[in-house]
Amino acid sequence: MHELSIIRSILDIIEEYAEEYRFSKVKSMKISFGRLSCIDPQVLEFTFDIQSTGTKAEGAALEFDIKPIIIHCFSCEKDVELEQYAAECPQCKGSEVLLAGGTEEIQLLEIDVD
Amino acid sequence: MSKITVVKNILDANDRIAEENRKIFDKEKIYVLNLMSSPGAGKTSIVERTITALQGKYKIGVIEGDIQGSADAERIAKLGVPVVQINTGGACHIDGNMIREALPGLDLTQTDLLIAENVGNLVCPAEFKIGENVKVMVLSTPEGSDKPAKYPLMFQQSEAMIINKIDLLPYVDFDMAKAKKDALTLNRNLKIFEVSCKTSAGLKDWFDWLSGRIESFRSK
Repeated sequence: MHELSIIRSILDIIEEYAEEYRFSKVKSMKISFGRLSCIDPQVLEFTFDIQSTGTKAEGAALEFDIKPIIIHCFSCEKDVELEQYAAECPQCKGSEVLLAGGTEEIQLLEIDVD
Repeated sequence: MSKITVVKNILDANDRIAEENRKIFDKEKIYVLNLMSSPGAGKTSIVERTITALQGKYKIGVIEGDIQGSADAERIAKLGVPVVQINTGGACHIDGNMIREALPGLDLTQTDLLIAENVGNLVCPAEFKIGENVKVMVLSTPEGSDKPAKYPLMFQQSEAMIINKIDLLPYVDFDMAKAKKDALTLNRNLKIFEVSCKTSAGLKDWFDWLSGRIESFRSK
C-alpha cells in the first residue's frame, strides 16, 4: 500500500503551496508516473478520496499522465513502445533489448486551484 | 481559478530524509545495505550468513523491517550483533523516516556495516530510499523466473541480485537463463550471484563483492 505514502506526500505538498499561493481549494491536479512504476491509479484515487477529506484537496479530480513502456532494440536500432513489458522486440523478435522508459518516478506536475 | 505548475517528485520529502540519514552514515563511515525481496526469499538467512562471514572483519548492525513481530530480530540477536526491529504496522516498506527513528537504538560509532532488511515485498521498497549505499535484492528459485518481467522496478533499482535457493533447482521450474536475461534487460549493470544458504554454494562471491564495496567506501 505505497499509495498511502504517496497521497500523504501529495497532501503535504499542497499544504506548502497553499501557504505560498494563498488558495483555498484544489479543483484538479495532474500526476505523472511510468507505467512500470507499480502504481495503481484506481488505488491512488481511492486512497486520495479517503485521505483528502477535510483538506483543501477534497473533491479534486486526479488527472494521470502515464508514461509508456519503451524498450530499445539493438537490432532495429530504435525505441519501441510496448503495451506490456517483455524482454523481446515486438518487431524483429530479437532479445537484445534494454528498458528505456516506463519506470519514471511519480511527480506532481500541476494543480488547478480556486 | 488558476493553474500552478509544480513539477515536484512526490517522494521528495522521503528522499530528503534519506539524504540526511546518508550524511549521518558518511560521518560515521557506515556502509548501508538495503536488502529487499518478496516474503520468504531468504533475506534473513542471507543476513545471518553475511554476519557470520564478515563479523570478524567489520562491526555489523542490523535493522529488521517487518509489518509486525520480532521473530527475525531474535534470529539476528543470537549472532551477537546489535539489532533494532522496526514494525511498520501495515506499511509495506521501510522509508527514510523509519530508519531515522531506528538509529538511536544503535551505537553508530561502533558500526561499519548496517544491514537494513526491508519488508518482504517486491513492489514498494524499490521506491523508498533510506540513505543506503547499495540496494540489493534477493530472488529465490521457487518464486519463478517470471519475476523480473512482473516486477521490473525492483530489478531496475537494485545494484545486485542474489538468486537464492539454487539447491532447489532440480525440483522447481526456474529458468535461470531467462531470469538473468530478463533482469539484465531491465538493468544491464546488475551484478548477479547464484547462491544457496542451505549448501553455502556461491555465498563466498557475495561476501567478497560486499567486502570490496565496503573497502572502497571506507578508503574514500
